[in-house]
Amino acid sequence: MIGVVGKLGRRRLEYEVVKRLVGPLLTEVESARARVKSFRKRGHQPKGPFGPPLESARKLKELMTRHYLEGRYADGAVPVAWVTSGFPVEVLRPLGFHAVYPENHAALCAVQRVVPHLSEAIEQQGYSRDLCSYPRADLGSVVLQETPVGRLPRPDLLCCCTNICQTTLYWYRALAAHFHVPLVLVDPPFVYGEAKPHHREYVRDQLEELLDVAGKVAGRRATMDEIVEVTRLAREGTLLWGECLAESRNRPAPWTGIDGFFHIAPIVALRGKPECNAYYRQLRDELRHRVDKGIGGIRDERHRLLWDNLPIWFDVRGTATLLAERGFNFVCTSYTNAWAEAGSRIDPADPLGSAVIAYTDIILNQDLGKRYATLARLAEEYTCDGAVLHSDRSCKPYSIGQLDLKQRLAKDLGIKVMVLEADHGDPRAYAVEQGHGRLTAFMESFA
Amino acid sequence: MANEPVAIGVDVGSTTCKVVVIDGDGAILDHRVEPTHPRIEQQTTRLIGELSATLGRALPVGATGYGRQRVFGATRVLTEITCHARGAFCRVGRAAVLVDMGGQDTKIIRVGDDGAVGDFAMNDKCAAGTGRFLEVILGRLQVPFDEVWLHVSRADHGIAVSSTCTVFAESEVISLVAEGQELDGILRGLHESLAKRVASLAGALPPDASVVMSGGVALNAAMVRALSSALRREVRVLPEPQLVGALGAALSVR
Amino acid sequence: MRKAYVARQREALGRKSVAVLPVHYPKEILTAMDVLAVELWGPPGSPRGPEAGRLQTYVCAVVRNALAFMAGGHADVVDAALFPHTCDSVQGLATLVTDFGGWSKPSFVFQHPKGPTRASARKFLIAELRALAAWLGTLTGRPLDVEALRRAIRLHRAIDETKARVLARRERLPLSDRELYEALRRGEWLWPEEHLDELRELEGKLALDAPPRAGVPLMVTGYVPEPMALLDALDDAGAYVVRDDWAAVGRRVVVPRCAPDLDGDPFEALATLYYEAPECPTRSLDQEARTRRLLSLYDESGARGVIVHEPKFCEPEAFDVPAIKRAFAERGAPLLYLETELETELSGQTTTRLEAFVEMVGARRAA
Repeated sequence: MIGVVGKLGRRRLEYEVVKRLVGPLLTEVESARARVKSFRKRGHQPKGPFGPPLESARKLKELMTRHYLEGRYADGAVPVAWVTSGFPVEVLRPLGFHAVYPENHAALCAVQRVVPHLSEAIEQQGYSRDLCSYPRADLGSVVLQETPVGRLPRPDLLCCCTNICQTTLYWYRALAAHFHVPLVLVDPPFVYGEAKPHHREYVRDQLEELLDVAGKVAGRRATMDEIVEVTRLAREGTLLWGECLAESRNRPAPWTGIDGFFHIAPIVALRGKPECNAYYRQLRDELRHRVDKGIGGIRDERHRLLWDNLPIWFDVRGTATLLAERGFNFVCTSYTNAWAEAGSRIDPADPLGSAVIAYTDIILNQDLGKRYATLARLAEEYTCDGAVLHSDRSCKPYSIGQLDLKQRLAKDLGIKVMVLEADHGDPRAYAVEQGHGRLTAFMESFA
Repeated sequence: MANEPVAIGVDVGSTTCKVVVIDGDGAILDHRVEPTHPRIEQQTTRLIGELSATLGRALPVGATGYGRQRVFGATRVLTEITCHARGAFCRVGRAAVLVDMGGQDTKIIRVGDDGAVGDFAMNDKCAAGTGRFLEVILGRLQVPFDEVWLHVSRADHGIAVSSTCTVFAESEVISLVAEGQELDGILRGLHESLAKRVASLAGALPPDASVVMSGGVALNAAMVRALSSALRREVRVLPEPQLVGALGAALSVR
Repeated sequence: MRKAYVARQREALGRKSVAVLPVHYPKEILTAMDVLAVELWGPPGSPRGPEAGRLQTYVCAVVRNALAFMAGGHADVVDAALFPHTCDSVQGLATLVTDFGGWSKPSFVFQHPKGPTRASARKFLIAELRALAAWLGTLTGRPLDVEALRRAIRLHRAIDETKARVLARRERLPLSDRELYEALRRGEWLWPEEHLDELRELEGKLALDAPPRAGVPLMVTGYVPEPMALLDALDDAGAYVVRDDWAAVGRRVVVPRCAPDLDGDPFEALATLYYEAPECPTRSLDQEARTRRLLSLYDESGARGVIVHEPKFCEPEAFDVPAIKRAFAERGAPLLYLETELETELSGQTTTRLEAFVEMVGARRAA
């Protein structure tokens, strides 16, 4: 017993040291290095089709590096939860959980193009390549014990919310069988038309169950005051993120939709934490400053596009450059927008009641009529003259219906729309040259 | 009995038709290899007839391959999985993992220490991971089969070809060429990519498992090397690798 | 044949009918309300019409074919459609075909809870069952009669019990696999009372005194026994299916460990039966429970090998495949993984795989 306490104590100490000392120190070193770099670079005009890089990008990198660094020391020190992106994390935060977001981690693996390597390890066990590349990357990472972030902490609790897809259910089943830890599910019924009262009630009941399970794992229950405070922070963070995105309604948009794909990380993985909100405040202010100065995300914005679905993480830069060189910018993406909408519905005055609605009514959990309405509204609000619908082999719930959506958007809004078939994580499933060829042809049709 | 012909084996593959005559020890005394004719019944009857005429008598016939049901007068009909295992076991004499890479299929067969099939895996129906994949892309690059080894052995590293879908890989390779990448490196990368696909089909192998190879692709030294490196062990090519299936068919009626 | 049957049911008996997508739904409620369920597992073969093109090719054939079938007017003989909330693809189909064209008759999505062993899930399930009954009430113009529901539950209990007895003694049944599974699958569209009569007739054919049928006994787990040519190929190779966990057949035969109270609240009884149903990844959170069940099915059945037979692009099934492979490998049981796409003919390669598997399993006993 003493041994266990001693070991726990040491893990906790290491974790606190990393969290309170090493992390901030790294931040300081990083920012000093960046200041030197930017001093050396002063006066240089940025090359290429993009506007000057965002100052906040550096801060983003620090923030996420610290998050993953803390994670390396989290297990054994604090309770660790692996959490789906659409999970009501507000319930876990007050209990000191370190939340790992496997989807965010998989996206990071995809950006670094290590998904094929990770996936091959589990394809040998019989995982099909037809499965979503996120779980393949994460399960491969678990099996190989390899990750670009150093180390992922072992979970004490698996938290799955099926409001983004049913895939998470099958994926977390497999994780539960692997780690032999409890799996807690929040299963918000898909909304056809209007959510029925007993559907709402079911989600509410599940949140109560979640409070119990999380309390048992953490050793105490969260108080309502704590949940109210986290909910306040999560709502504020979401609204700030929405303000960042909304700046792109200006012409030129002060950043690119591609930037947005990267800057989404904190609202997914650090939602409900003060540093998340501080970050978005800084980003928003920078974007407003750029708008005031007329600085665009790309240097010559001639056409404004809407992007639907997840990004092609391993070719985000390639796609952005291809477009920017021809004066096209993705000024809005339905994916980043989803994160500005869901959390705005939560309300500190009624944390659980509002979470029921917020976590049920997200875009991926609603019928296609509402998907269409959202896309059409975004296209108008951001004055888009075209849209690219990414038909993502890895994401059926997001992709089903896109062929019909394409027809409707083109007909009703009079904009040009293309469907681009690719994958969000696995470069083996997308021929980049062919994709770029199709995007180029699409852009030529604007002439 | 050595040198005394005892059985005939017929392997009707998707591209070639192989017929062997064996003795009691499994040595191949005579053989025929022809491109598979659409009229399999006539072709195999003719080939068996020719060999029997030379021998001066009829022998039992084992048939295998995708056209196995259309071999008239076959004493026994078995799938190529079982026959390859038997043929390979006859040559190796102990448990082994057999990689058979033919035109349309790639098979991984675990042969037990009794020569029986322990387990097997096959590529799914797309051409990725088969000889056809190489054939398409070599054709596109206009590299003759017998020059492949020369190119690959000259490359000091492979240029990664990430697509394994034949159609995607073809366009990826073309764009690599257009970018001015070395042909040698591309070819090496291509073989490495295919070998990885086969390795993933093979799954985790026991550390002491010896790996042998059969099928037409086994004649491609570059592929053998790439596979050895992907499986992290030496891959031995069976003698007359394209006849292993026919040998196994003959052994089954010996 | 089905179309004519559905039309006759309407004309002769005034019975309404509902097209039902896979997999799990409380058929008892439909029966109680005198509504014929006609299940739509694809149908197999090429898509019937161009509307399948509204879904990407990486969506499974079951859902693409169903879209083509419904939107092409082939299901117009029924009065409504019922979509169980099975997976992302059926979930998407339910909004695509009703909101964006293809199905203008009434429809209902039966949202069964995932992770059923939770108090919240049971409560929700009962509410959802009641909502389905209310919808059917609107469709038929008659409210649910609780006594009729009790009778329907008893009827479907009898069907499942008969099926379970037949399947458990499968090796004593002088029928080919195709004949057996065609007979069992008639329950996907026959009026349940007629289906029960047929099943009892089938049970009468059990030759308990005769020696068990010859051939290599195999177990199958998977989704749906399509293409049926698969069964012919097994037959030709000298094997037969001694136990199945196809979602469409064996996995829907509920044999409860504790009998539900059939005289009490019938919705409670239905919920209990839902809990007692065999493990399915479209409802349960426990992957290990599925592999445990498969292993025990395997042991009790005397099967000598297992075929994991999945439709391509089926996520709920595909995620379990590695665990199933591992479990049977540890048991030393031969396993064949087979992917099909509702094609009518088996490819030569698939036939070869099946034959080679049977040769391999057969050789094991010989050795």
